[in-house]
Amino acid sequence: MTSGPRVLVIDDEPQILRALRTILTAKHFVVTTASRGEEGLALAAAQPPDLVILDLSLPDLDGTEVCSRLREWTNVPILVLSVRERERDKVAALDRGADDYLTKPFGIEELLARVRVALRHAAQAQGERRRVVRAGEVTIDLGERRVTRGDEEVRLTAKEHRLLAFLAAHPGRVLTHRAILSAVWGPEDADHVEYLRVYIRQLRLKIEADPDRPQYILTEPGVGYRIILDG
Amino acid sequence: MWSLQSTFLRLLAGLLTVVGVTGLLFVLRGRLDTPSIALVYVLAVGASTAWLGLLAGLAAAFAAFMLFNFLFIAPFYTLRILQPEAVIDLVVLLVVAVVISQLLGRAQAGMARAQAQEDATLRLYDLSTALIGETGFSGIARTLARSAVGAFRASAVRVTLRDGAMAVLADALEPEGAPAPDRAPRDIQKVLIGRGGSGEIQIWAEQPKPTEGEARLLRAFASEAALALERAQLAQAETRARVLEQSDALKSALLSSVSHELRSPLATILASVTGLASPEIEWDSAARMDLLTTIEEEADALNFLVGNLLDMSRIESGSLAPQRRSNALGEIVSAAVFRMRRALTGHPVHVEIPAELPPADVDYFQIEQVFANLMSNSAKYSPGGSGIRIVAEAADDLWLRVQVENQSPPIAEEQLQQIFDKFHRIYPDERITGTGLGLSICKGIVEAHGGKIWAANLRHGVVFHFTLPRAASLPAAAEEP
Repeated sequence: MTSGPRVLVIDDEPQILRALRTILTAKHFVVTTASRGEEGLALAAAQPPDLVILDLSLPDLDGTEVCSRLREWTNVPILVLSVRERERDKVAALDRGADDYLTKPFGIEELLARVRVALRHAAQAQGERRRVVRAGEVTIDLGERRVTRGDEEVRLTAKEHRLLAFLAAHPGRVLTHRAILSAVWGPEDADHVEYLRVYIRQLRLKIEADPDRPQYILTEPGVGYRIILDG
Repeated sequence: MWSLQSTFLRLLAGLLTVVGVTGLLFVLRGRLDTPSIALVYVLAVGASTAWLGLLAGLAAAFAAFMLFNFLFIAPFYTLRILQPEAVIDLVVLLVVAVVISQLLGRAQAGMARAQAQEDATLRLYDLSTALIGETGFSGIARTLARSAVGAFRASAVRVTLRDGAMAVLADALEPEGAPAPDRAPRDIQKVLIGRGGSGEIQIWAEQPKPTEGEARLLRAFASEAALALERAQLAQAETRARVLEQSDALKSALLSSVSHELRSPLATILASVTGLASPEIEWDSAARMDLLTTIEEEADALNFLVGNLLDMSRIESGSLAPQRRSNALGEIVSAAVFRMRRALTGHPVHVEIPAELPPADVDYFQIEQVFANLMSNSAKYSPGGSGIRIVAEAADDLWLRVQVENQSPPIAEEQLQQIFDKFHRIYPDERITGTGLGLSICKGIVEAHGGKIWAANLRHGVVFHFTLPRAASLPAAAEEP
């Protein structure tokens, strides 16, 4: 396999670039690297990659700026790698269009898993928008507004359904509290994280096997939620 | 208006006034009738009282009565009084003298009171002005004691300030340096401080009792002192808060820069190691070697950083203590260049150290760290491919001077000093990563050797100068260039 998915890595530390290039190449990705933001943006435009791995600390542009500039024209999944571990840094990157966030240092298995999820969902998003999605024994029919768990129909309120549908429309992506609240409740309620907690809890009670150890609707502490669907 | 000090002189002046007036009246006696003469005497007595006081006035009144009686009332030249009206004249004269002196005395007393009040106000004003500048307890106590000596005509004043736990904050005795009087103080005034704590003003004076004005002024002093102390306490609390805030800011600056600097190499090491260990990946030997080299380099980088952190904490705790020996600078520089060879990739280092350079009396490892930090900085901030030049020469019989030049962009004049401050970074955002420790460590080490370090802009670059002590073992004259 010579032409695997194309990955663009943008990071200003030559050593991590070198390590990621070696590892991802060994995993049959086609790797291009950039050590500056502008260079990364130019490379992404010249040869659109299937995935961007992005550091937030760059010598010329801030990583979040690179996120927004990429989002102006592409939906390529962006995986942020950064030593910044504060929640507001994560939220800033995710709100500017990043799909996922991994703090340095990280194990390579974790990175590869996130890369796989991102690529899979990007492939789904590129294909026809599916009306019916599955997460384990839960089936969500977005068109019919029907959710079933096993053979039983799950009764959802209108708000719960809108929330689940919004999450399911962005599988694998970390959605920030603000993004979810703005989309489901409206921009004026964007700060009411407590609404979201209540509704997420109700959704988990209805669709998760063990609401305290959720499998599908995952919490990103202090940042937001993401839904994991079957490929 | 003139004044006469002693009572005797005043009496004399009063009498002379009357005698003078009598002389004048005697000359004119043919043309004046008796009542007019009496009026002129009243005038003289009034004037004497007004200018010379009650006693002089009374003396003048008696003298006037006698002379009037003797010279101007029949039978002339005797003191006998034929008409009873003459008694009235005498009484009038005496009453005029007493009334005027009373009125005048009251006015003067009022004026003296006003004067005293103004004086007290001025003293209080002076005290509060002096206290405004004082934010320390001992300064406040000293100022208070000094002002009190003047204000209360005291022979000694002692001011003691205590905190809430009664521990003495300040104790000032005026006059300074004199032993405390062994008798009990005349006045003791408590000072109550709002935020806990108390004080005491003790006054020794010649006068056995304070005047009412002084007692009032002392109470005012006490409240002024209480205000000043409260202000000082607030200022101290604020200073403490600010110091804490600054040290917090420094700590979080250290934490954020150190965590970034530590995590970046750790990220590479962890990614490489987990990659090598992953069963998912089949490694060819070149790729494996590549990752292993990366790990080694990052471990070096971590080691360098940890060395800097250790040096920093030693400088902070004052335990840097250089192990000074006679060392050849050339060797130290070579070792530093070798250790930093990876960080210096793309930055050729030109070392111009003459072989005959006298040895330096320095700690080998610490000075190596200075060179490593300066070169690492140079490589970080100057354009790729640009060189670094290291020059050393004997400055005089005692010192060697070293220069490390690079081609980085110029440093703003006002930053040339600050770059040696801890955590000071020219680019505070993370565009060029660093802990902001490197140059402050260089400064700490060079200063621990008794030397100086400074930076200057060149036409195309920046130069760091520093001085190091020469080893004393070799004769000085032979090495002069």
